Amino acid sequence: MSDTESFRSINSLISGICQTEFFNNSELNEQLLKEQLYPEVPQDDFRCLYDKMRGLIKSMASADMDPSQLGVFLTAQTRKQGGGGVSAEQATALSRFWKSHRVKVRERLQAQSRWEPALRGLSWRVDIQTSGHSNPVGVVELELGGATQDTECVCVEVDESKVEEVLMKMKEIQENMDHYVKQTSNLH
Amino acid sequence: MQKVSSFFLDFIEKTQAGQHGQVSVHFFVQLQCLLQWKRLSWLNKAVVSSLEGKDCREVMKSIAESSVVPQEQLSHIISGMHRVLSEAIRIPTSLLKQEVLKEDLRELRIPEDFVTDFSSVVFGSRRAGLEAVASQKDPHLPALEEFKWRVDVAISTSSLARALQPSVLMRMKLSDGSVHQFEVPVSKFQELRYNVALILKEMNDLEKKSILKIQD
Repeated sequence: MSDTESFRSINSLISGICQTEFFNNSELNEQLLKEQLYPEVPQDDFRCLYDKMRGLIKSMASADMDPSQLGVFLTAQTRKQGGGGVSAEQATALSRFWKSHRVKVRERLQAQSRWEPALRGLSWRVDIQTSGHSNPVGVVELELGGATQDTECVCVEVDESKVEEVLMKMKEIQENMDHYVKQTSNLH
Repeated sequence: MQKVSSFFLDFIEKTQAGQHGQVSVHFFVQLQCLLQWKRLSWLNKAVVSSLEGKDCREVMKSIAESSVVPQEQLSHIISGMHRVLSEAIRIPTSLLKQEVLKEDLRELRIPEDFVTDFSSVVFGSRRAGLEAVASQKDPHLPALEEFKWRVDVAISTSSLARALQPSVLMRMKLSDGSVHQFEVPVSKFQELRYNVALILKEMNDLEKKSILKIQD
């Protein structure tokens, strides 16, 4: 295997593991990755490589490593003696992969611990009635659902005072979150 | 104003054809008989209370018990008054002149005392209340009754050792009694807040633009 080919294979292996581990891609599995990327490598050697890469990716994801943490982590791995360590090529591939996938993986892992239906989208309109007092009425449709659940649409009518009330509460929510972010940044 | 007259004429035709259910052609004759009865204004008050959505069963019962008019006729009269008043209230005051209403009522051969009474109900101080009750009966989507929230910060999860990401949990109670609880990730929260602010802006703009007020 040439250097380019070997680098391409390790890149594809890392992407494949990420797909099976975090994105529930059932079309990919260990056997398929071996057949497609490392057909000439003995099964045991491939298993070793596969498990090592999987362990490293999971550690990176679980700790949500930032670039400097990743640098320290990979340097330590390359210095490891024997079969447990990673090669410079593997370290480069992991570093490159993490640079482009960190946000997506983090979002995905956060969603995995979200069990309530989440707000996925909303649309709204403002109506004005033709009879009686023509105060405008807002009609809001919320699209709710989890990653694995079907979506449910909730339609709700709001008058102006209700919209004002909700907006005030949202201001409070924002202030609370801002306060929290300030507190945690002080802690670090 | 032609519209109002034609509505009442149509109303008479339908009434005569028996299409208005309980309201029969005898209504107007009976109304005249009732004039001799002293509790007229009571009856009027009871019908208006019912239009305001109040429980007037007790009042109706006492009227029925003390009535000199047979119950069957009384029920025709009450439903007739109810019908005439609710139809008159449907028409916005901007389109209905008091004199035109009075003329229409006279055309229906409604006695003069009642014409004044009816007209004072339609144009009097209780009009706003009557309209509010009437609009509640319109078809509606469930309205937002209660909105509660909680900001959560997941410290650590089975997938993330240090999550530390706030998320908002919202709980809405609607007028149909249903409760919806959902999580809003921070990015979605910004979108939601922006859209709610837009709705309010749109409502304020609409109210300012009198040109958009719907005219018949």
